[in-house]
Amino acid sequence: MKTQEIMTKDVVSLRQEDNVLDGLNLLFKMKISGLPVVDANARLEGMFTEKDVLSRLLPSYIEKVGKFIYEENPKSTKKKFAELSQVTVGQIMRKEIVTTRPETTLCEVARLMLTQKTRRIPVVDETGKMVGIIARCDILKALAREAEIDLRQS
Amino acid sequence: MVKKLIILIVISTGLGVLARLIGLDSHQALSLSILSVSILGTLFFWSFRLTFAFLGTSILLITQTIDLDNVIKFSSLEVILFLIGMMILVGLLKDSGFFAWIVSLILRIKNLTATRFLIFISLISGLLACAVDEVTSIIFVVAAVFEICDYFEIEPTPFLIISILATNIGSSGTALGNPIGILIATKSGLTFEDFIIKAFPIMLICLAALIVIVKLWYRKPLREFDRKIKEMGYNDILIRLVSVPPEKELKIALGIFGATLFFIALHHRLEILLNLKANTVLLTLPLISSGLVMAWKHQKARKYIERDVEWWTLLFFMLLFAQAGTLKYTGATDVLARKLSGLAGHSVSYLTGIILWVTTIGSSILDNVVMVAAFIPIIQSFQGLSESLQPLWWALLFGGCFGGNITLVGSTANIVALGILEKEKNIRITFFRWFWIGLTVGVISAAMAWFLLTFIPFYK
Repeated sequence: MKTQEIMTKDVVSLRQEDNVLDGLNLLFKMKISGLPVVDANARLEGMFTEKDVLSRLLPSYIEKVGKFIYEENPKSTKKKFAELSQVTVGQIMRKEIVTTRPETTLCEVARLMLTQKTRRIPVVDETGKMVGIIARCDILKALAREAEIDLRQS
Repeated sequence: MVKKLIILIVISTGLGVLARLIGLDSHQALSLSILSVSILGTLFFWSFRLTFAFLGTSILLITQTIDLDNVIKFSSLEVILFLIGMMILVGLLKDSGFFAWIVSLILRIKNLTATRFLIFISLISGLLACAVDEVTSIIFVVAAVFEICDYFEIEPTPFLIISILATNIGSSGTALGNPIGILIATKSGLTFEDFIIKAFPIMLICLAALIVIVKLWYRKPLREFDRKIKEMGYNDILIRLVSVPPEKELKIALGIFGATLFFIALHHRLEILLNLKANTVLLTLPLISSGLVMAWKHQKARKYIERDVEWWTLLFFMLLFAQAGTLKYTGATDVLARKLSGLAGHSVSYLTGIILWVTTIGSSILDNVVMVAAFIPIIQSFQGLSESLQPLWWALLFGGCFGGNITLVGSTANIVALGILEKEKNIRITFFRWFWIGLTVGVISAAMAWFLLTFIPFYK
């Protein structure tokens, strides 16, 4: 089975100039943790995820310091959150993203997800235009179908 | 990119041709050319520096300028192993919350005033750089500076610059402060005690001079900080917010690190007592400590090795040391040392000045490890010129550390700290905003070291 057979073709996406808070709202509404960012020609430009917003709120040196030193959240976190209203999706999104092609097999996509620690992978054609997206649950459901196991019954 | 590549080729080829003209043979000239490619490669193509190091060393091997045995000998595995051991220890300190504890200590300064803060961060930056390396220590000082400045809503840049300047000066205080410290210690025969007795006092004098200079230079920001402190009331609320209890793990980690430092400080005496070759204890101690750490934290041992050891940098160092060693192997450094010695009228005092100022200026643009690695075989070739070459080694150390203050790319600590400033505060320091204060501090501290090394008989 190939990616194009099970990928979601009607993909909700963001634009670089969208506001981060709007993007975050969309994630909450859709109950997902990340969305692709595309240009006017649907060419994939990046991924906008909750993780990127969180890492923007914490100091970049926190990993090196090893521990958070306050008992309460410092006021700098509130300030940074308030500043998000001035930040665009393009400023926060990650640009180095893993993509796959429509004709790739599901096991290869699953391998990419495991090795690159990603939950969903945008599917692009040869011009870089996004044609769909595939998530972990899509692969698991398809593999279950292939194995002729009815998940609802079991 | 292409322009830089052309400059690199022209300079390195030109150096090779010049070397032939002044009497070096073809192997000697080639080794000089290849080393200059690696040096210029770090300047023009920082992210490709390992590519240059790999290809350059391969050319030296294929052209039989050096053989494999000597590449391995000159790559100074003992220094690399020492640095690996120290990096693992720093990884443990980080995991145990040591650096968070240090940050919390800075935030808890009692009766905070701008001057008190300035002195405190200068001393902490200097001393922490002495104990762990400068690149590690600057991150925690920057974290503390940002937290204080955020709390009082003041611009962090002047205080960040002060802590970087103090870190670079502090890194000359012991053999642990900077990779060039341990490199010089292993190649010169100077012991850790020599560093404590001779380098540490010069470092402290220069640190004191730095405090005076920056207090005058940053009068306005300091006044503004004092005004804010009065307006918001000291850092009492901040102190109540901070909580890093000294947990058992932190105490054990501190114990291991403290014991390592203690025995490193005594390495020379222990080597005499145990009848061991010079530097055996010095170079083995980090291995013993990190070995114990990996036994204690055996589930995280692989993480310490893979995440906390800077393999990229260490591989570059190994190949760079091998390339610099090729200069010695081919005899190029003997020729260069004779020329340099003739230029200085065979006087150690003049040579001290030349080495100090060349490394100071060189390190303001290049990675100081590159400068020092290139100079070490030359200084070793001065054997016989004088009874003691000690002033030359100290000149190399202080030039390499203090030169890093002159420009904003002068040392890795500068690049790391200014990178955090840009990422966190969106503040990009212009070249000249750094340069004037960096030049003032760099030149004054190097001049003070020059004066002390030249005129105080203690350093002869």
